[in-house]
Amino acid sequence: MRSGPQSLLTGLLWTAPWWLGFLLLLAGPMALSLYISFCDYPLLQPPVFVGGANYAQLAGDPVFHKAIANTIVYAALAIPIGTAFAVLLAVLLNQRVRGQALFRACVFVPTIVPLVAAGVIWMWLLNPEYGLLNTGLRAAGMTNPPLWLESPRWAMASLILVSLWFLGSPIMIYLAGLQEIPEELYEAATLDGASAGRRFWHVTLPGLSPVILFNVVVGIIAAWQVFALPYVMWRTRPGPDRATYFYTMYLFDNAFNYLKMGYASAMAWVQLLIILGLTALVFVVSRRAVHYRGA
Amino acid sequence: MNVRSIILGFVLGLPAVGLLVFGPRGRPDVPPDRTVIRYWEKWTGVEGAAMQRIVDRFNATVGAEHGLWVDYQALGDVDRRMLIATAGGDPPDVAGLPDRFVPPYADQGALHPLDDLATEFGLDLAAFKPIWLDICRFDGTLYALPSTPYTIALYYNRQLFRDAGLDPDRPPRTPAELNEYARRLTRMTANNPQDPNDARIVQLGFTVSPAMLGWWHWVWPYFFDGPLWDGRHFTLDAPGTHAALAWIRELRAALGNERVLQFEGTAGAIESAQNPFLSGRLAMVFQGPWLANWARVYAPDLDYGVARFPSVDPERPHVFASMDVLVIPAGARRPREAMIFLAYLLRQDVMEELCQAHGKVSPYRTPRPEFLAGHPNPHIRLFDELAASPYAFGYPKMPTWAEAWAELLYLLETLLRDARDPAEAVRATQAKVDGVVDHYERMADRRRQQESPRPPGASHGESP
Repeated sequence: MRSGPQSLLTGLLWTAPWWLGFLLLLAGPMALSLYISFCDYPLLQPPVFVGGANYAQLAGDPVFHKAIANTIVYAALAIPIGTAFAVLLAVLLNQRVRGQALFRACVFVPTIVPLVAAGVIWMWLLNPEYGLLNTGLRAAGMTNPPLWLESPRWAMASLILVSLWFLGSPIMIYLAGLQEIPEELYEAATLDGASAGRRFWHVTLPGLSPVILFNVVVGIIAAWQVFALPYVMWRTRPGPDRATYFYTMYLFDNAFNYLKMGYASAMAWVQLLIILGLTALVFVVSRRAVHYRGA
Repeated sequence: MNVRSIILGFVLGLPAVGLLVFGPRGRPDVPPDRTVIRYWEKWTGVEGAAMQRIVDRFNATVGAEHGLWVDYQALGDVDRRMLIATAGGDPPDVAGLPDRFVPPYADQGALHPLDDLATEFGLDLAAFKPIWLDICRFDGTLYALPSTPYTIALYYNRQLFRDAGLDPDRPPRTPAELNEYARRLTRMTANNPQDPNDARIVQLGFTVSPAMLGWWHWVWPYFFDGPLWDGRHFTLDAPGTHAALAWIRELRAALGNERVLQFEGTAGAIESAQNPFLSGRLAMVFQGPWLANWARVYAPDLDYGVARFPSVDPERPHVFASMDVLVIPAGARRPREAMIFLAYLLRQDVMEELCQAHGKVSPYRTPRPEFLAGHPNPHIRLFDELAASPYAFGYPKMPTWAEAWAELLYLLETLLRDARDPAEAVRATQAKVDGVVDHYERMADRRRQQESPRPPGASHGESP
């Protein structure tokens, strides 16, 4: 292996597509957005430096508070429910039964349905009058089933329910993780008389914990960026009583509808810090709960 | 760098360079020696096809004469794309925008002023109805030209009127009368007649809900003599607004708010057979002249009438008027060539062909008889007359309208759900938008001072 300036130059040249892309398309715009977050910048006029005014305004903006509260509630509910649901389904799909491949395909297929199409399908499934869900509830004797999308009380629950529709990808990752758990651990537990529940609790979950951590971190990032599904399901409206108005939607509105690029940039940086903070928190909290093989 | 690396670089890089140099190019059908005018619009489908026909005719005639070629591109979110392209220094030569973008974009300097060009190219602006020209102006300057305009009226189902014992030739004239009609036109059913909570609305008289055909959630105060903008201040917290909200709440309370919400949740796509007015489930609706096009397709046997929307004082008949406009973005490379195309498009025969195909009214003071006779909407004369009303109003000319619009939507949505006390909600919305306007004014002053120092306090926006 050669070393020296010539090999450095060769390395830089070959990696140029990446670092040029990184500098021009990521690091550069990020640095610019950090500067703009301290400016009033309506896109077509030069930015005016306003110091920390945008950040101060965020602190007193009730719509920002509402959007952040909605996002926290969504993340706090959708991630644990989705994780539990995905792990259980993965364990079921890992059982050696007839039609295993078909069941796995059925679980994964919804993931490849475009988000907009899925949103429209769910709008109809949750329709208060004609929807399948309310038709079923009425048939079961419920006189006034919920107004899923039109009631502030139920709108968030509806969205969390719909989010479960897209669990195909994490389930596939959990399935791959399950293959990594050594069979002899299950054999040893069985010999020791452990029940199926105990084997799940003491073997499967610890063995799967690094994968759960990965999916939770990815889930946090996704939850803080939720946009398309509520945008489609509430037809670009912010939902009843802004019940489904999320952080990224408000950021988008500020940037492209209100032309407040400085304010939107400040929101983007706060969002980045929140996601970084939550991710770090998850890593710290999970340190004792995550078991790495050979660690 | 060794020989193998160089060969590998060539193998990978050569196809990419070849693609860039010899790869496919856009607009293969542009004849040589033509200057291309880029025209961005929002219309697709039937509306887009109508404009494409006109563009093709221009390219074959006037365009050929002047060596021009209009490249029509239909884009989603054309307003945002135009703004970003303008900010990036590469805007189209012509863009079609909804009229509400004229004040904010003009105030931002995103639009090319058109007064001089209009004079130079001999456009007879006096031929247009004043409301349409007024919408195209901001701070006294012409920034847009009329495209396809519309007024909004009250459509009502004549058969449902007869069924409810109402005279189909006597639509409601005041908001109070409209509520009374709506109550009589609402029908309920119950699976279990013994259970009062079980009643469900199967036919609704009228609703202002944005969930159901309502693109104009903010207009209601105007029908109670309550404009929202005085040229400098947002004027929501006024008697007109409170009267409008009381009117809205009165009808919903009478019908049962939960039941109305449930019914509103059933609305399908507006341009479909699920449109509740077309399916006979909504008796009256606030809509534009294009509804006749959909009625012809989805409900050809629908027996409907059209009337001016009721105002609190019938002597002051308020009418909502709006339109699509044509603009030349600031920094467009070929504004004069673009103007040749716009002058062609604004020929009365050409523009009225477009308006007819879109089911809209004509922007001209005196539409040609063939326009009125051949229009797909049998009530087009009424829509046209409404545009001449001295009480016609358009979108408030606020540079910060987008934020006010969002706040007004929130206000109405929460009131429709009984989620807030109306007076308090109006006060909160007024305060929020006041803050937005105030911030905007301060920043504008600061910018002006940086550019050329002068006393702060210059006004933004203009009188409604």
